[in-house]
Amino acid sequence: MTKTSDKPVDELVPIFFMGKRYEVPSSLTIQKALEYAGYRHIRGCGCRGGVCGACGTVYRLPDSYRLQVGLACQTVVRPEMHLMILPYYPGNRACFDIEELSGSGDDPARLYPEIFKCIGCNACTMACPMDIDVMHYMAQAIRGDIAGVAETSFDCIMCGLCASRCPAEEVQFNVAILARRLNAKYLVPKAAHLEKRVKQIENGEFEEPLRELMSMPVEKLKKLYEEREIEPQMAGEDWTPRDTRYV
Amino acid sequence: MVKVAYYPGCALKDRSSHLDASARDAAERLGFQLDELESWTCCGAVPPVSRERVMNLVASSRILKNTRDSGRDLLVTICDFCYNTLKRTNHRIRKDEITRRRINTYLAQEKPERDYIEETASPWTDYAGEVRVMHLMEYLRDVTGYDEMRKRLSRPLEGLKLAPYYGCVMLRPENEIGLDDPEDPSIIEGFIEALGARVVNYPYRTECCGSYLSVSDPDVSTRLSYKILSSAAGKGADAVILSCPLCFHNLDSRQEAISRVFPGFKPIPVFYFTQLLSLAMGGDRDRQGFSRHHVDVSGVVDSIFAEKERQ
Repeated sequence: MTKTSDKPVDELVPIFFMGKRYEVPSSLTIQKALEYAGYRHIRGCGCRGGVCGACGTVYRLPDSYRLQVGLACQTVVRPEMHLMILPYYPGNRACFDIEELSGSGDDPARLYPEIFKCIGCNACTMACPMDIDVMHYMAQAIRGDIAGVAETSFDCIMCGLCASRCPAEEVQFNVAILARRLNAKYLVPKAAHLEKRVKQIENGEFEEPLRELMSMPVEKLKKLYEEREIEPQMAGEDWTPRDTRYV
Repeated sequence: MVKVAYYPGCALKDRSSHLDASARDAAERLGFQLDELESWTCCGAVPPVSRERVMNLVASSRILKNTRDSGRDLLVTICDFCYNTLKRTNHRIRKDEITRRRINTYLAQEKPERDYIEETASPWTDYAGEVRVMHLMEYLRDVTGYDEMRKRLSRPLEGLKLAPYYGCVMLRPENEIGLDDPEDPSIIEGFIEALGARVVNYPYRTECCGSYLSVSDPDVSTRLSYKILSSAAGKGADAVILSCPLCFHNLDSRQEAISRVFPGFKPIPVFYFTQLLSLAMGGDRDRQGFSRHHVDVSGVVDSIFAEKERQ
């Protein structure tokens, strides 16, 4: 992170958004600085916590020709930065029914045959604000290593900056989420406890307590909520609540 | 065990993963380990012949540079296309200063530009072609040595008549590859003899099998493969031996189509050189992926094991 602590918080620095100059407090993130400057985010602003991928941003600093990337909600403004937020990137997205796929290495190749156009330029990796080795997972996709793609791309937030920089017109983030879905559906072992719980739900075992809650007077419901037992932060794996009726 | 840096290539990781397994197995029986690079991309497969002069060499240059940076000066591959690409890229980098500088300038700036990444102290050193690229076949000839191979045979392929198939890219262009005489090569012949088998001479061993045309124009590849296979069979070969996954695909899987187009054609088994190497070194027949062949190889494989029992 940029060092700003030794400066007064109200110091104003110039930034250029869509080429127009604004004076904004130096301690703000790009997102907050734009709101300070009068913009209202209707799109291009999601979680504000660095995980939704809606505020991918490209910027340049003085004295360098190199493009930098970040998330507007996480990146603190820098004096004289020129920036643009890319809330959405029109990427090719294959239509598929996961039930009809197999989890083999052929699935990405069939749905996204353009992956073989990758020339290994690495521009995607350099554009990733999550520091994912994007080129590496594309290489894994080309050689049919679904689990490898899922692992390498795990932190992807689908911001689309990789695709925006690709000379081969790949849509890396969609290839990656396909692989993660295939991995979950066909490759990793099934979670036995999850299947058991789904069966319980399907058998209607929780219908009665849910109905009970839904017909409860609001005041009683609030009290129940406020007095609920919360798992302690440092609870071990063997922690169980006092009320074990639904565990 | 000696570790040798190994670039498998995409085909050997996917459709031809059984060939990768047999190569690793054979290498260990010969006393060295094929040590796969930690992180690698497709070599590009065709960059040296594409019109693009520099950008298509970046991926293969990076693979070579990473090999050097991991402290190794030799990179072995078992695919003819990867071998051709890596070796020719290396050649360009060694001989063509402008290409070398452009590629290095590009690779030197691959580290993402980030505020929060601190500059590391390690200085950049241009990749100048320091790594030697070798085909496993070449490694066996020049490093292991055919005499040493003969000593280690535990199941010599005696009585087996093998037709060597070179195809195009393993030997050409001669001035860049420099592995063998492209018109009259002998490296696979030497390999066959080192395994104790007999070489079958036939005129089509350096002809093209159709390569990628098997995708866009399969009939061409069917015709070309027919010429090669029927010529080898006509000279009495029990099987064809080769060292390229794409040639393997064409010569093996096209035989169904050949039989339809050319009635009277008798299918002939096709082996990847690592499979026979592994078997001759005592490898397990179940670990060579023979069930993935289109043409049944069990007759030839049975004879290899039967020959051993007779001895």
